[in-house]
Amino acid sequence: MIKLKNVTKKFGDITALSDVSFEVDKGEFVFITGPSGAGKTTILKLILREVHPDSGEIIFDGQNLTEIPEKEIPQVRQKIGVVFQDFKVLSERTLRENVEVALAVAGIPQAEWKARVDKILELVGLEKRAELFPSQLSGGELERVSLARALVVNPKLILADEPTGNLDWDTADTIMELFEKINKEGKTIIMATHNREIIAKLKKRVIKLSGGKIVNNHEHSS
Amino acid sequence: MNIHLRTAFDSIKRSPFQALSAIFVLTITFFVATVLSILVYSSGKIIKHFETRPQVIAFLKDETSPEQISALQQRLSGDSRVKDIKYVSKEEALAIYKEATSDNPLLSELVSPSIFPASIEFSLVDLNFAETVIAEMRGEAIVDQVGFTANIGSQTALGDVVSRLRTITFYLRVGGGVLVGVLATTSFLVLIVIIGMRMTARRSEVEILNLIGATPGFIRSPILLEALIYALVGVIVGWLVTLILTLYATPSVVAYFGEIPVLPKDTLSFLAIFGIILAGELFVGTALAFLGSLLAVSRVKHAR
Repeated sequence: MIKLKNVTKKFGDITALSDVSFEVDKGEFVFITGPSGAGKTTILKLILREVHPDSGEIIFDGQNLTEIPEKEIPQVRQKIGVVFQDFKVLSERTLRENVEVALAVAGIPQAEWKARVDKILELVGLEKRAELFPSQLSGGELERVSLARALVVNPKLILADEPTGNLDWDTADTIMELFEKINKEGKTIIMATHNREIIAKLKKRVIKLSGGKIVNNHEHSS
Repeated sequence: MNIHLRTAFDSIKRSPFQALSAIFVLTITFFVATVLSILVYSSGKIIKHFETRPQVIAFLKDETSPEQISALQQRLSGDSRVKDIKYVSKEEALAIYKEATSDNPLLSELVSPSIFPASIEFSLVDLNFAETVIAEMRGEAIVDQVGFTANIGSQTALGDVVSRLRTITFYLRVGGGVLVGVLATTSFLVLIVIIGMRMTARRSEVEILNLIGATPGFIRSPILLEALIYALVGVIVGWLVTLILTLYATPSVVAYFGEIPVLPKDTLSFLAIFGIILAGELFVGTALAFLGSLLAVSRVKHAR
């Protein structure tokens, strides 16, 4: 599904990633962990082509992301669902409209929107809050909006950047159950987190980074 | 409703005073443009009216045969400087005289057709040819005298009227063009400023849309639609106000100018002229909206 080969990325004098290589298969759930500044978010940004690597290759869905032209980036991003730590929801749009925007971006016909949005909101447990605005929702609910928006377009890959970072444990647990459920349905998930309890609970493959290098890449064993 | 249109309307609702100022400036621009278009049309019609009325009358000698008259008519028909050639017989000349003096029957009773000469009347394509053509006509063997639009006065008087009209029309076109240009530039700048402000306000939204895979076209669409809404409302309101004012003023204008067709008398032609102006203004309005929004979007993008 996705392969990073000898990827290096520097921001000025700081090396964010150094010669990083790993592969994630279709349907896998992988945690990228490590302390702050280890390079977790940089990996996600590279996959999203928010930043360009200094060297190395990133192959996603048969395409080398380091070689694609600027104008093709939107097409790549449309295959990827992203869940952000700070939710990144549109504050002046209702919850339903936030999810609909993803469908519009992906070019899904408007006639299909209602059914798809209703289904996904039910999945994340927000069907009764569809017409509310983000300011009327809690942090956990906003995270679920972000997840619903990522899922509604049926992406090939889901990237989650510290999705539980701003949530209390109970809410984080509910969100992680949702991720697990989605993964069981066959979705590939790469999640950056430093929450050890979550990693321990889900027992998935963990790629551990430190100082921009992979220091551990293994299946979880409790 | 289409998501882009909905976003555009939401944006207008959120900052109604910005929207109103854009629409107001555009309305004034297109109101002035429509008024000037009508004035230019009318002045053109006035000039054409004076230029196309029978300007030269060649009075024929009494002994002229029909063959000679026909030969002269044919020669004139082949002359590209001359148009609207008409032969007026002695009897027709009398009829015209009688009609002109109908308020005093005594005057017409005292005359017979024999005292009126037959004539050939014609107009000139351009008044600049008048002197040459009149001289040529005076040289014709069958021509007794040549008159030059007696209704208006002398050759110099008509030349003066037309040249003064031309000067007025020229200044109207140049002055009007400059005024419309200044107003259009102001509208364009106001549009850019307002769209730029919209883009700045939507910066975080644009960032999110970028991350979820929105194309530049998708991001630009609501901005472009918003600018189009301003431009189209400005065009339609400006045009409509002028149409209503013109309809209101038409009876007085037509009465004042009499036979001079400053405005079309039939409804269809009247609407056709306003339709052409509207089409032109819609084109210009759309171009302003496109260019303004593209420029504002690219400026905000570069400023990031």
